Amino acid sequence: MLDRIIKQSDFMSVVRELSRQRRLVGPVAREDRYFYEVVDEPSKLDLSFNYCVYGPRAFLFPPTETLFTFDQRDGHFEAKPVLDNQPLAFVGVHPCDINAIRLLDHVFAEDHRDEHYLTRRENTLIVGIDCLKPCTEGVFCADMHGNEAKDGFDVMLYRLHEDNDEVVFGVVFGSKAGREWMLYSRACRTPTAMDEREFEEYQRMKAAAFPRRLKTQFEELPALLDRSYDSLLWEATARRCYSCGSCNLSCPTCYCFNIYDEVDMSLDSGARKREWDGCQLEGFAEVAGEHNFRPKTASRLRHRIYRKAKWILEQTGIPGCVGCARCDRACTAKINSVEIYNQLAEEV
Amino acid sequence: MWVQEARLPTAEPELYIPKPARILRVRKLTEYENLFDVAFCDGRLLDHAPGQFVQVSVLGIGECPISICSSPTRPGTFEMCIRRVGSVTNHIHRLGEGDILGIRGPLGHGFDVDELHGKDILIVAGGLGLAPVRSLIQYIIDERSRFGEFHILYGAREPKELLFKNDLTVWRERQDVNLHVTVDRPDEQWRGKAGVVTTLFKELPSLNPSETAAVVVGPPVMFKFVVLEVLSRRIPQSNVYCSLERRMKCGIGKCGHCQANNVYVCIDGPVFKYGQLKAMREAVE
Repeated sequence: MLDRIIKQSDFMSVVRELSRQRRLVGPVAREDRYFYEVVDEPSKLDLSFNYCVYGPRAFLFPPTETLFTFDQRDGHFEAKPVLDNQPLAFVGVHPCDINAIRLLDHVFAEDHRDEHYLTRRENTLIVGIDCLKPCTEGVFCADMHGNEAKDGFDVMLYRLHEDNDEVVFGVVFGSKAGREWMLYSRACRTPTAMDEREFEEYQRMKAAAFPRRLKTQFEELPALLDRSYDSLLWEATARRCYSCGSCNLSCPTCYCFNIYDEVDMSLDSGARKREWDGCQLEGFAEVAGEHNFRPKTASRLRHRIYRKAKWILEQTGIPGCVGCARCDRACTAKINSVEIYNQLAEEV
Repeated sequence: MWVQEARLPTAEPELYIPKPARILRVRKLTEYENLFDVAFCDGRLLDHAPGQFVQVSVLGIGECPISICSSPTRPGTFEMCIRRVGSVTNHIHRLGEGDILGIRGPLGHGFDVDELHGKDILIVAGGLGLAPVRSLIQYIIDERSRFGEFHILYGAREPKELLFKNDLTVWRERQDVNLHVTVDRPDEQWRGKAGVVTTLFKELPSLNPSETAAVVVGPPVMFKFVVLEVLSRRIPQSNVYCSLERRMKCGIGKCGHCQANNVYVCIDGPVFKYGQLKAMREAVE
């Protein structure tokens, strides 16, 4: 069911209104590729983008951030948390990335609440834009149930048709904040029965447009991996792997981090920071005294695949992989996760 | 926003912030390990369970996980046995009485002492593994009437690496503690037993397996051999406990460093039952 209908030009005026209250983040064209960037001017957003090279996680969980600053002059011990509560709006986020953010929301709120992530998240409005067809070859988002976002957004746009060269969006509200913002525009109208029929047709076309690439149903992947721990495929694939961590870096659901201190020249004050880390890097599971619990490339590779397709799902009920295939595209050795799953399926 | 509508409770503002604690006493244990007796500057008690750990900070250098090696039955201060092995621990070794450390914790799941009450206890510790398990040993001694027979087997590589020598003397003299100590490589002064820790099993009297809980703590290589001995004494798997070591960075189940298969050692452990561990292929490999 649609909540509203809006033309692209009218939508862009409400985005302009939004940009007065929030920093805008959205897809920006850089030569032939797209990146999520902060824009000062809504016209720089290109909502017809195919995919962004990286997901938007960097704006919620930056590559480096300060956890707290400290001061220990004259024997003091003072530590102050640093939180970023600047209002943000993501405009133009695909369902895969919305699903990835849903997972991050869960892991940073579960057990112990991480205020650094959650403060940013609670100040972020998410405007999604649906995909009618796969954004590029190689994605397996339909297999991972990543190509549809049922929640996790404030507003979702569906590209219904073009009218005088202008896109007409069907709008679904995901939150009260999204509804209030959108209804600010008088230009959006109530959907008619014809709009609803068009939306149903949209859903049918979408369902037909996404190919299934995995031989295993997504629900069966944990069981497949259960049987595959000792497969030679890990070692065989690892022969190509450089342990460079590009898959971790490009993944919208990776959230592992390292913690380190930085001191000022005085040596008395400084900051404790965190930075993205990657489970594929050689020292990731090393403990003091140099014992490494995953010294082999194969064990690290297996660890990543198990996390993405089994452990995170079992722990959180949310898929650890959204099928965006950014890892496969980023891999310097052309290691392909779909190929791994399908080869494992053949072994059994 | 969407998350707000999901009505998530408010965040913990000081999740990563260590609280200042003062070093009250430093005791040299070996060439590499010192025992630090500390107390929070604001008088707060640590309120921990045996087997839990804390994240210890030196501001400007970093943070590392250290097990608490004193029992909550001896409140007021708490002790940590720290081996100097990395940048943070080397710096801590240069600190002395009156200096300040940052502490986050207690963290993780320790020993479930209620589950151990009423049982005979067999503790097997190797090397630095005596440190985390010392909190449990002290607890059992302080609550001695709540436990049955109490056996401790402890092995170190060399006599000079033995930890808590004063404690070992005290425990050995107690009638209600059955302590056996061995070293892999004895020196000329060594009058005790020689061999790896598993050789001490022959010193044990016959056990009542279904009423015995075994606690195994030590370097990864030790686990398999010791657990094998324990199980061959017919102690049920559900009565075997292990404590694992990992590189915890956050200590709160986020950063991913301590993950062993599908568990986070920092929040699901560090104390596990053997039944949980055997399904985890990476646990002690």
